[in-house]
Amino acid sequence: MIALSVAAVLAVFLLYTSLAGGGTPSVAPSELAAKTGEVSLAGRVVGTPTGDPHGAGMRFVLQDIEGEQKQRVTVLYKGSVPDLFRTGRDVVVTGTQRADGTFVTTPGSMITKCPSKYQAAKS
Amino acid sequence: MAELGRAALIVTLGLSLYALAAGGAAAALGRRRLALSARNALVASFFSTLVATSVLVAGFLRDDFSLAYVAGHSSRALPLPYKISAFWGGQEGSLLLWLLVLTAYSALAVWLARKRARDLVVWVTPVLAGIAVGFSWLLVAVSSPFDTIPAAADGNGLNPSLQNPYMVAHPVFLYLGYVGLAVPFAFAMGALLSGRTDERWIVTTRRWTIVAWTALGIGQLLGAHWAYQEVGWGGYYAWDPVENAALMPWLAATAFLHSVMIQEKRGMLRVWNVTLVSLAFCLSLFGTFLTRSGVVSSIHSFTQSAIGPWFLGFIVVAVVFSVTMIWLRLPQLRTSARLESLVSREATFLYNNLLLVALCLTILWGTAWPILSEAVRGESVVVGRPYYDFFLRIFGLPLLLMGIGPLVAWRRASLRGLGRVFAWPACIALAVGLVLILLGSGSSIPGLVAYTFSAFVLATIGQEFVRGTSGRRALTGESVPTAFGRLIGRNRRRYGGYVVHASIVLLAIGVAGSSAYDSVVEGKLARGQSLAVGDYRLTYRDLTEREGANATEIRAVLDVRRGGDSLGTIQAGKNAYSVEQQVSNEVGIRSDPLTGEDLFVIAEQVNDDGTVFFRIFVKPLVNLIWLAGLVFVLGSLITLWPDAREERRLASRYASERERTERTATT
Amino acid sequence: MSVWLLLAAALVVGGVVVVALPFLREPAPESDALHELDAAERERLDAEEERDRALAALKELEADHRAGRISDEDYRAVVGVVRRDAAEALRALDRLRAGSAGGTRKDTAKTA
Repeated sequence: MIALSVAAVLAVFLLYTSLAGGGTPSVAPSELAAKTGEVSLAGRVVGTPTGDPHGAGMRFVLQDIEGEQKQRVTVLYKGSVPDLFRTGRDVVVTGTQRADGTFVTTPGSMITKCPSKYQAAKS
Repeated sequence: MAELGRAALIVTLGLSLYALAAGGAAAALGRRRLALSARNALVASFFSTLVATSVLVAGFLRDDFSLAYVAGHSSRALPLPYKISAFWGGQEGSLLLWLLVLTAYSALAVWLARKRARDLVVWVTPVLAGIAVGFSWLLVAVSSPFDTIPAAADGNGLNPSLQNPYMVAHPVFLYLGYVGLAVPFAFAMGALLSGRTDERWIVTTRRWTIVAWTALGIGQLLGAHWAYQEVGWGGYYAWDPVENAALMPWLAATAFLHSVMIQEKRGMLRVWNVTLVSLAFCLSLFGTFLTRSGVVSSIHSFTQSAIGPWFLGFIVVAVVFSVTMIWLRLPQLRTSARLESLVSREATFLYNNLLLVALCLTILWGTAWPILSEAVRGESVVVGRPYYDFFLRIFGLPLLLMGIGPLVAWRRASLRGLGRVFAWPACIALAVGLVLILLGSGSSIPGLVAYTFSAFVLATIGQEFVRGTSGRRALTGESVPTAFGRLIGRNRRRYGGYVVHASIVLLAIGVAGSSAYDSVVEGKLARGQSLAVGDYRLTYRDLTEREGANATEIRAVLDVRRGGDSLGTIQAGKNAYSVEQQVSNEVGIRSDPLTGEDLFVIAEQVNDDGTVFFRIFVKPLVNLIWLAGLVFVLGSLITLWPDAREERRLASRYASERERTERTATT
Repeated sequence: MSVWLLLAAALVVGGVVVVALPFLREPAPESDALHELDAAERERLDAEEERDRALAALKELEADHRAGRISDEDYRAVVGVVRRDAAEALRALDRLRAGSAGGTRKDTAKTA
């Protein structure tokens, strides 16, 4: 039907133009070096977090969730922290890596994934 | 006891396989007894699934921790209602729930339609059986709820965020909706398989579709309310893939629901209809797959999850099957009726279809793109809120206007005719728009547009009720309440539809108000300090701690003032659950009954020195969203209500066929 | 043997019985053919649907006109077409009925 194909073409066009600018790449700590700009960093929390997320910022370390060579990166996070956040949880934060290697996040961008349940808790 | 459960599921699998094979053979070869046998098998599969379900429920009620599933999702201290809802707290149990609802619906559908649509039912049986085969196979071979372990002393307990009434009801309603779409899908496929492309499959499944669609809508509203109150980040919808998983089939089902009206009235859009119902069902399979297989986080977890590849295969089969059947029957589906004018009721419904499908597909793309990009490019992306908001505005705002469809004339609407109907509502909308600009709503253009469009549609609906009632009174001289009641009673589908449209408009107003015009402040407060937001001033008074049933409850108490008046106190804090070793956010919400706005307080961080970091929202009109849910159900009930005259007419149309069938069978 | 296995066995037996029931009830039926609508019946059904559709359209047009949704002009422009459609549908149905009552009914049900 003509109407369907018109709609499909329009949809594809709109999607292409919007996606060309949208969609942040999702990376693991070991892939961080290769990327510049804003990325979505996914990793597992190791060690003890320090600092105040609503003050100067909370520092914690993220490690690769999978893979043989597990690399770590220090994250500086400000903003709301989801309840499920703790050592050993998988989290996703959005931000950029600073020259000194610290990953500085967009405030409030943390999402945790609950390992055995199907819902992700948001902040 | 687990052996009974496992055996029952194997029986279900066997019965479904038989119903599929025998049903297919019976329909293709025209064997009456074999067709009856297949139908019996389908009905019997419900009872065996019920047995399996009872076994699992009994396991929860008896704290039988030798069942791995019970041990994983329940505990001795868990309150009874949550022991039951833990049934669908994990993958295996929710698959069993899916199968239970599917077999129940299948049994009911073939039983109810056995007289009226006999030649359809012979084909519907194998289609429904095929779906049941898929799910029962998963439950028997891949993901069994009856795996046993050495009995532990106590179970792991249920995730605290699932321990509330919303999470008890939300999955049930969603499944009633998801699975409910299988019935119109099966009837559509039955119609295509049998070569009967008349409207009988639509007429038979009309109520099924509405019930499934309503349940799916309510399920989502319950989920949104849960997210708002329990997860408590300040919103109700985050465009999370599992949320989109339910929205997409609902949008497709909405398009389907409307499009079939055009086929009923004018015999048009037949290809659209079979396509839409197939899309809705395949999306509901996809939605179950997304939610249950963990594919969303990354493609790696997809391959690790045992159930992922099977589900994907299942969806591929469903898609290929529907596309093939539609393609094969395309000649019979095409009609000679053509769209006479781009300004007509038929055209409005077509635009409605296009907008809904477009919105649905953009959400599908945004949800599937991270998975696809990882599979294709090896690099995953995250699609953020701006993408969805953009398309929601582009497609959603015009969709609001589609509510005027029932007022546009059939075949061809003249400009003068349109003027008659829409002059007053347009003036009202314009006036409302101006007033809103004066009140400051111009701060958000999409919000202003949403409000103005909503005013327009509400005005048209109000006008319909007024004109209808006064028209009736002119004829019959009845009193206003009687005329009003009889008007709705005689035209249930039309006026029920208006009520449902009104609920959608209310939803739109609530969404616009709470997202485009909300305010937020945050800050760390010591005892005695305050924060101001909107018209409110909140002062942090004290911190309390108490031991609840299974958690330590910490609450910050704040005084609320507006203007010069005290509005009482509000509490917000955290619960620390001992068994599950988790902390949950407990927000404080104060709803204003007059304005419908919410004061939403989150105690983000409770520090050792007694200071608390607060995040406080004012969300205007947000309670309209929940009110819209109630109006939605009311409207649906009105459209669903049996109409004796309609029933008689349909019975006579199909009875003549039955009489002939009876006569032929005995000669 | 545990009671559960017994129940499971009962379930299997029950399933087999239910499935075999139609064959047990009618071991030697006169006709095992599934009645499928022949061309004449399908035509009749389609004609009845067309009639219902046309009559409903006419009824809705009248109701819309009375309720003021359609102006007198628009009503006059369209009512002729709608009435004609309804009349045609009724005539077509009458023709089919007359045809089937007079002629012999062909039984095209598939035989075993």
